[in-house]
Amino acid sequence: MKRWFRFKVILVPLLILCLGLLAAGCGSKQTNSGQGEKKEKLKVAFVYPGAKDDFGWATTQENARKQLMKEFPDVQFTAVENIPEGSDSARTFTQLCEQGYKLIIASSFGYQDAVHEVAKKYPDVKFIHCVGTKTAPNVSTYFGKMYQLRYLSGILAGKITKSNIIGYTAAYPVPACLSGINAFTLGVKSVNPKAVVKVVWTNTWYDPAVEKEAAKSLLDAGADIISMHQDTPQGLIAAAERGKYGIGYDNDMTSFAPKAAITSLYWDWTKIFAPEVQAVLDGTWKSQRIFKGLEVPGFLNLAPYGPMVPEDAKKLVEEKKALMESQKWDVFTGPIKDQNGQIRVKEGERLSDDDIWGMNWLVEGVEGKLPQ
Amino acid sequence: MDLYSILTAVLSATIIAGTPILYASLGELLTEKAGVLNLGVEGMMMIGAVAGFLVSFKTHDPWLGIIAAMLAGGCLSLVHALMSISLRVNQVVSGLALTILGTGLSAFMGKPMIGMQAPVTFNKISIPVLSKIPFIGSALFQNDILVYLSIILVLTFWFLIYKTKHGLRLRAVGENPAAADAVGVNVFAFRYLYVVIGGMLAGLGGAYLSLVYTSTWLENMTAGRGWIAVALVIFATWNPLRALLGAYIFGGVEASVFRLQALNIVRIPSFFLKMLPYILTVIVLYWATRETVRKRIGAPSALGLPYEREER
Amino acid sequence: MLSVFEKKNGILRFEKKLSISPLSYLIVLIISIILALAVGAIFIRINSFDPLEVYQFMFESSFGSAYGISETIVKSIPLMLSGLGVALAFRMLLWNIGAEGQIYMGACAATAIALYFPRLPSGIMIPAMLLAGFVGGAIWSLIPGIMRARAGVNEIITTLMLNYIAILWVNYLVFGPWSDPASFNQPITPKFPVSAMLPTLPGSRIHMGIFLGLVFAIVLYLVLTRTRWGYEIRVTGESESAAKYAGINIVRNIMLVMLVSGGLAGLAGMAEVAGVLGRLQQSISPGYGYTAILVAILGKLNPLAVVIVSFLFSSLLVGGYAAQTIGVPAAIVSMLQGAILFFVLAGEFIARFRLRYERRGN
Repeated sequence: MKRWFRFKVILVPLLILCLGLLAAGCGSKQTNSGQGEKKEKLKVAFVYPGAKDDFGWATTQENARKQLMKEFPDVQFTAVENIPEGSDSARTFTQLCEQGYKLIIASSFGYQDAVHEVAKKYPDVKFIHCVGTKTAPNVSTYFGKMYQLRYLSGILAGKITKSNIIGYTAAYPVPACLSGINAFTLGVKSVNPKAVVKVVWTNTWYDPAVEKEAAKSLLDAGADIISMHQDTPQGLIAAAERGKYGIGYDNDMTSFAPKAAITSLYWDWTKIFAPEVQAVLDGTWKSQRIFKGLEVPGFLNLAPYGPMVPEDAKKLVEEKKALMESQKWDVFTGPIKDQNGQIRVKEGERLSDDDIWGMNWLVEGVEGKLPQ
Repeated sequence: MDLYSILTAVLSATIIAGTPILYASLGELLTEKAGVLNLGVEGMMMIGAVAGFLVSFKTHDPWLGIIAAMLAGGCLSLVHALMSISLRVNQVVSGLALTILGTGLSAFMGKPMIGMQAPVTFNKISIPVLSKIPFIGSALFQNDILVYLSIILVLTFWFLIYKTKHGLRLRAVGENPAAADAVGVNVFAFRYLYVVIGGMLAGLGGAYLSLVYTSTWLENMTAGRGWIAVALVIFATWNPLRALLGAYIFGGVEASVFRLQALNIVRIPSFFLKMLPYILTVIVLYWATRETVRKRIGAPSALGLPYEREER
Repeated sequence: MLSVFEKKNGILRFEKKLSISPLSYLIVLIISIILALAVGAIFIRINSFDPLEVYQFMFESSFGSAYGISETIVKSIPLMLSGLGVALAFRMLLWNIGAEGQIYMGACAATAIALYFPRLPSGIMIPAMLLAGFVGGAIWSLIPGIMRARAGVNEIITTLMLNYIAILWVNYLVFGPWSDPASFNQPITPKFPVSAMLPTLPGSRIHMGIFLGLVFAIVLYLVLTRTRWGYEIRVTGESESAAKYAGINIVRNIMLVMLVSGGLAGLAGMAEVAGVLGRLQQSISPGYGYTAILVAILGKLNPLAVVIVSFLFSSLLVGGYAAQTIGVPAAIVSMLQGAILFFVLAGEFIARFRLRYERRGN
């Protein structure tokens, strides 16, 4: 194995390179002939870091994509999955731009640098980037006020719990998770001041084994309701196996545990993306931070309640929901204290969208520390 | 919740979490007993996980899934057997290749299964009387059939290896294949057989993960358990009974990771808790290696060496 | 030697050659790639795509344009650097499969310099980060190295376990103490100062890392073939007992080789954060460390060949990700990689044998 390489080793690379160049020659001709024809139709790409059919976050946007295909028959909607958030994402975005895509929906925060880098080079391509911290002339950011539904589901959980311990599995201490936990806890406390919310960090968005273990450990610690900010229904399933209750997220997860599901909090992104696609078609698209909530009809939804939900809780939820739909009231209205007892929102004040978008603290009543 | 019920819960979770590692580790142990090192355990587990899930998803029969997983693991290990026994390729290289192939193949095959829920699973079987024992009863004697099967297999193979003539031959093949050959043992047949058995058990371990432990399929869902299984073989000093112990120690750590968090017992970031199984593997391996050196109970002497029949 | 057929007046034998020529290896490699592509075609077909079209598209994406080629080169840098490290260790039969973790630790150490000393001028910053990257990776490989050298602990498993630990450690840093205050707890560190970025070729993402890779490949090649230390590594790799007999200090060499091996992977991590990403974040490496193992093996552990194979594999990866944009699962690439490796392993064996007919009584 040792002797045969010595000097002849140069031969191998040379041959491979020749082969490569030869083939490259053939290949480039093909590209030229392929272009040109497909100029008119608007092409929209959805880019996901994981599988598109994960029944979680990606699936919520996949559902929207499929719906959009019906609503806009003249627009091409493509899903691109499994694009890692490292150096590969910038190349993928570039390739999509080169292929003539004019609207790209980047569904993960990790794409931020790549999105802005590529957006600069292709000013005519519009990007919509999930939970981004900055916008650009052709880059919008998007997320929704899911915390509003979290608050409502907190009311349900606070009414239903008997052990006064509610488990919450959360992926990472990012603002989306923190605002969700906080709103949920405020909802629980509003009807049941004695209850506590126990949080377990799984450090993963999508890992069925880990999520199930985390949920089980919460149940072992006395929780009788599992709420979750994760992409699989494992928490709900774990609760069902123990005869306890759970709250689904992302999609309607009731079918996974019909007896255990209190409700599911789910998105319908069609409501957000359809106007964007229309704006691109009309040439009126503008960069903005898209952060909408219950005021957009049908965007944030509660799945049909399970049989365990009492009537008074339902009524209370309807009241609060109406208040938020009309934007007369919002979840983060003072006084709100954080875990250290410090006042974060003063009496009568309302937290701004900026502060919610970048939330980095936990409210009083949450058990579980931020990983610091 | 009181400490008593928490401990029973942890014990029960320990058994479940330890079982996939136990299957894989027992398989690798048998393979190594025959003198072949197969580092493709991770790959075979993954292929087993996906095959088991796919088949039981389509047929609604968990047993068919298990059989498919064993077949898939066995087929993949056959590639390794061919490479390492017949073609005498370096076993480490071949094993690594197997892991890479298994990872890719399983991800590809499992693509349409992502997000699906296994329609059927194995029911828990309570063993009468024993399951009523306080504390350990519900954890040890109220499990699904595959848990019992794993324990039965451990005992069977222990008996086979140490108490039968067949086991003597197997050990001879791993320790001194030339001598075994001289007394008429078919070294190649033995090695093929046990490599394939090892692959089947690894596949079964993978299927336990996808069918019972989580009831879902996910890319890379084995998360290093195949490698932990390889490390456990060294910890077990090539003895199935100690592999049982080792697998449950790891199951225990896995089960504790989130419970420590949920109970607010320790205040360290969850990232560090998640490192525990891997750190433990390194420590255990270090300790086990020192012990095997001290007690002179090393690996089968011919481990990793291809056997070539000399002609005279 | 292996006999296949015994006939009345002679015997048909497989004769084994000790090694095969580079030319036959090249043929084996090409045939293997073709066979692997054929196997892959079956799976692509199953997913109801046209294999030829997919392959053509993959090829165009990685070689079809100047951009494609530049991106292929960018992606080959981490593969090359960590592949060199793996090749060096494998030469001595040290199975360092922890390049992935060493990449993360190298990136982490280099980031520490950029974050804690942001005012350093470029002339000091870059060398300091290079050194830190090397040291970060080296420490991560030295731990299993010392355990192996002093206590005989199996380095395959320890290096692999350290991968998981390193990735979790980086996760902890980017979510916790190193999280960018401006990013609202999102898992990224602040952007590096300009002085901490490796210079790039204008108009592309190709950065200085490519020179590092090429220089280290040549240096390693010369070290292995021309120096006493290289000789020691090769002898130890062939036979440890022979090495002992020759008075070679194996314990020291194990640690040294592991150190350099991990250091190179660490440089790969440094190059990735300082050359491409500009900050530390989650998932900086989508498995470069594992692909590096394939690169090293297919490069026959020869540093110069590693350069070529890393380029080849990088084009495969670039093509694979591009294929995703038309809907083909990326898993096809890792499957192709595994299949190529197996075909090469088997093909090499076959190429080493020659069928010969021997008359009896010779």
